[in-house]
Amino acid sequence: MTRKQTRIWVPRRNKRRAGSVSRRMVFTWFTLAGLILVVAPQEVTNKFQFAFARIFRWPLSIGRNISLSARTRQPLGDVVSRREHGQLQNHLANVTEELVEKHRKVEELSGLRDRLYALEGAKLMLADVITGSIDGDNKLIINRGESDGLAMGQFVLGDNSIIGTISEVSARTAKVKLITDPSSNIAAKIVGLDVETVIQGDGKDSVKVQLLSIKHKVKVGDDVYACKKPGLLDTAIKIGAVAGCKRDDGNPLLWDITVKPACDIKKLSDVAVVIMNPRQ
Amino acid sequence: MRWLRFAVFIVIVTVLQAGMVDILAVTRWDVKPDLLLILLVFFAIYCNTSEAIVTSFTIGFAADIIGSAMGAQTLSFGLFGTSLAYLHRVISIKKIPYQSAAIFMTGVLAGTVAYFLSLLKGQPASSNVYGAIFGSSLYSSLLGPFFFLPSAWWMRMKTPRFRRK
Repeated sequence: MTRKQTRIWVPRRNKRRAGSVSRRMVFTWFTLAGLILVVAPQEVTNKFQFAFARIFRWPLSIGRNISLSARTRQPLGDVVSRREHGQLQNHLANVTEELVEKHRKVEELSGLRDRLYALEGAKLMLADVITGSIDGDNKLIINRGESDGLAMGQFVLGDNSIIGTISEVSARTAKVKLITDPSSNIAAKIVGLDVETVIQGDGKDSVKVQLLSIKHKVKVGDDVYACKKPGLLDTAIKIGAVAGCKRDDGNPLLWDITVKPACDIKKLSDVAVVIMNPRQ
Repeated sequence: MRWLRFAVFIVIVTVLQAGMVDILAVTRWDVKPDLLLILLVFFAIYCNTSEAIVTSFTIGFAADIIGSAMGAQTLSFGLFGTSLAYLHRVISIKKIPYQSAAIFMTGVLAGTVAYFLSLLKGQPASSNVYGAIFGSSLYSSLLGPFFFLPSAWWMRMKTPRFRRK
């Protein structure tokens, strides 16, 4: 009795283990993911950064405090600290400027009632700095957000002087674009001049005054104030002081003015956001 | 590769980089070491190529999370981490000077590419960015090889070195 032999087709065994992926595929997938992150809108990708800042809020704050205390020298005996001195100086400058402005208003518009204090109707929302500017990107992340009344464009104070504006906001955190950021443009005026100008960050630790004609007299040490902005700032507040003034190399008819911020932004551990029309 | 250890390690180093590395800043330009760059080179050298690809992109993502714009460093770290892993198959990078040179070159190249990618994303161009990249890469290359040993201990990896026979 003979057996009938049949040939059946058996698939060849794949050399690669089931479930394994080639290196080329892994690289392609990850590159694609990176490209998606690059082209995705900033508002969407910011959520990753805000989530990280929120989740690791405590270790980041502790780390920042440690690094700040490590870099700050201990004050001597009864001497007032430089930071406190700076705060008071800025406060004095703001009050003086406010006083001058009030006098002018009283003279010009006598009879009209006006506010006595610069930010009387405003709410100052205190916020801790979660992360400072990293790799020179001139931004801070703070622990207050939309739920606390923050909105884009609001001014941020550090040691009683303007340090930047809110540039992005999530529910519980917000990003502050510092005045030293190259994309920051704030209307400002130099004390003693009647003309308003624009200041722009230089990407390092100072600010440049834009488009100011050399017919205006500017001295080193002159205070620079952020101009009033309806709904966001009701009075001029100090930004810094002129640290350098020379003719612009590109356009000799304009000044090239460098302004040093009124406080050491890198050493700030808390800031205040100016909310002009707070929700009750 | 112990992926759980890797994940914990990356989170710790990212938090350190974001919060505490200011202590190590030097000069008036605040040059700081880039711990994530050091890790990128470490994993590219001591892992196999497939693992190096995954770790490079992951470390780039971590760098983006604490950076200014998302995506730029994911791509640049991934690209140069992978290139370094392939290069390591041809040229052995196990002596400390070679490791330093690898960190420096990777830092300069990845930093430059990340900068241009961030410009594409609409980030403002900052002045002296090349100086910052150069300074950070140099500082990382000096510090990096000493950071390899604790990294290897944490990851339970062997770091053989060339010895004179």
